[in-house]
Amino acid sequence: MPDSYLVHVAGAMRSYYKDFSKYAKGREPSQKVAWVTSFTPIEILDALDIEYIYPESYSAVIAASGLEQPLLEESTRQHLSCDCCSYSCCFEGCVETGKGPRGVPPKPDVLIATNNQCNTLPGWWSILAKRYNVPLIILDYPGEFTEDPIARAYVEKQHKDLVLKMEELSGNKLDENELAKRIENSIASVAAWKRVCACLKDREVPPTLLFDNINFLITARCKEETALIYNLMADEMETYPECDKSLTPLFWIGYPLWYHKDRYLTEVMDGFRVCGSNYITWWNLDYEGDTVWDKLFSAYNATFLNLSQKTKTDRLSSLISASGAKCAVTCRNKSCKCDYVSAKNVGIPQAELEVDMIDREYLDVERAGKLMAILKETIS
Amino acid sequence: MKILSMSGFVPEQICDTVRFTGFDGNEKLSHYCGYAADFIAQVKEDSSIDGAVFPKSCDSSRSIGSYLEETGKFLYSMPVPAVMTDESVAYFAEVLKDYKQKLEQHFNVSISEDDIRARDEIISGRNAKIAFANGHLKDFSYASYIREVHSSLNAPYDFSESRISAGREGKPVFLIGSFLAAAGLAECIEKAGLKVVSDNLPESGRLCMPAKAGISKDDIYTKIASEIMSRRTSPTQDRFDEIISVDLDEIEYTGCKGVIFATQKYCEPYDYLFSVYKKALDEKGIPVLQVQMADSTDGSGKDAALEAFADII
Repeated sequence: MPDSYLVHVAGAMRSYYKDFSKYAKGREPSQKVAWVTSFTPIEILDALDIEYIYPESYSAVIAASGLEQPLLEESTRQHLSCDCCSYSCCFEGCVETGKGPRGVPPKPDVLIATNNQCNTLPGWWSILAKRYNVPLIILDYPGEFTEDPIARAYVEKQHKDLVLKMEELSGNKLDENELAKRIENSIASVAAWKRVCACLKDREVPPTLLFDNINFLITARCKEETALIYNLMADEMETYPECDKSLTPLFWIGYPLWYHKDRYLTEVMDGFRVCGSNYITWWNLDYEGDTVWDKLFSAYNATFLNLSQKTKTDRLSSLISASGAKCAVTCRNKSCKCDYVSAKNVGIPQAELEVDMIDREYLDVERAGKLMAILKETIS
Repeated sequence: MKILSMSGFVPEQICDTVRFTGFDGNEKLSHYCGYAADFIAQVKEDSSIDGAVFPKSCDSSRSIGSYLEETGKFLYSMPVPAVMTDESVAYFAEVLKDYKQKLEQHFNVSISEDDIRARDEIISGRNAKIAFANGHLKDFSYASYIREVHSSLNAPYDFSESRISAGREGKPVFLIGSFLAAAGLAECIEKAGLKVVSDNLPESGRLCMPAKAGISKDDIYTKIASEIMSRRTSPTQDRFDEIISVDLDEIEYTGCKGVIFATQKYCEPYDYLFSVYKKALDEKGIPVLQVQMADSTDGSGKDAALEAFADII
């Protein structure tokens, strides 16, 4: 019987959630715990045997479990504005009430936030730092807004400082070979994930599978088994039947709707099929360079949302062109000011939908349906 | 060249800029800071504006360039360091040099270090005057004071206490918030019988913080970078503990009976700060009123809330 990716997925999930309160049942984590944002150089933490937890991902899990509404309400009671990123509101409600589908994550020993995707995350992490009274480390990535040599030296110094602080926290000494190994694992994970993404264009692959399974590229990209999971997944998907070419190929620009059973608006997409998405490419980090420090700089400074508008437009246009999409849904996400504007000038008709990736009560489905009907008429 | 600038993180010393104080424009973006949207509108709609410089310090400001790229005007997104270390000051100094070079290239001008030093002297003089007046807010009308501050943010950077009118008596309050574009709010505060005796606004209380001792003055860029970064902390710099601690001391020292937290709608840095700031004030038994403004021109319509707040304190 061929090896199935699902077996490895189950193992990876068990490993990630082992210290959440529902499973730990009062047992303390055996490692030091960092709460990190999703573009943190976790290769460093992994090489130092520090456990890392992703609050953003957990908010997605909470919404997917249908539990976000009472937690969003709780965050308002905690004086957190509902205009703030709903990942943060949902998570604030979770840690305040202690309620979540898998309980609450193990308490952090350190908080690490980066600004290479948005400036919201450092703000969110600042309120977590007040709650838990633990050190907060902000990693500052200038992105394309600063010339290379200046930015490179600045970021490299921060990465090396992070190593020193994490060595002190964990009591372990960094072995650069171990770090290099983690980076190689990340590179392999990205390559394998690209194989998975490629299947969306021509195969009968539900986009839901990709929206859900990118989770491992986010939370476990430097683990050896991640590439294995994705290669097995790609092997399987490459055998799927060809997709129905009579449906109009559509590109999904923006976050998945985590609260939705399919993660996208299947109910208003009759006659369309999703052939591509930018979200699923965001963690296809480019670890270019000769040294481990160069590789980390290249991967984490040039994340998609940290690029100039011109580069973002070029990248998005080329993704859309490769996907064969004839139109797009552009999610104007209430929670993310940076993402929406990425979709300027992509050159195909778009339906612009006002959504939130966590709060199911935000979207006007009827209006979304009308906009999709207009889109259909436009391209027919 | 007429360059519109946003935020106290943008250096005034490199070249003359026009500080954005408000614009009634047509740029309406959902779930986006109205102040930033009005900034975008002015750059797009005001033909006298040649360019824009803005910080990469919050989600609204970091995406301004995306909305303006088709204007063909000079655009500079200033990557303000998110951390305060010697390395980040050195890095920010390099950013300032880059900013100067980009200005020179775009406008085909030359900006000498002597020009920068001369402008630095003028700016430092103005800041000292603002700091002095800020220390005596109880003697002034806050509305008159903040208008004088705003006018001094543009060349010739002239600030004069003599132009500030005397204030009426009122219940002493502390004002914290983002740039008070709509100075009309200050009038509403006074009309409600409240008196701002101390503040933490970017253009006022935050600008007045004395520069950190030990800054090398040999390199003008390092000096400017260090001064900007060592000012009283902004919530975009993610050190909430520091903000709360400094503000609480000041509130106590100045005998304020309450706090007005005035921000723009959809301003996440202040929204995050508010959630912990309010808890800290609650623990001390200090009442707080949050006033949210829709955009850079929205300063009215808060009378009822302010009057009710004045009654409470």
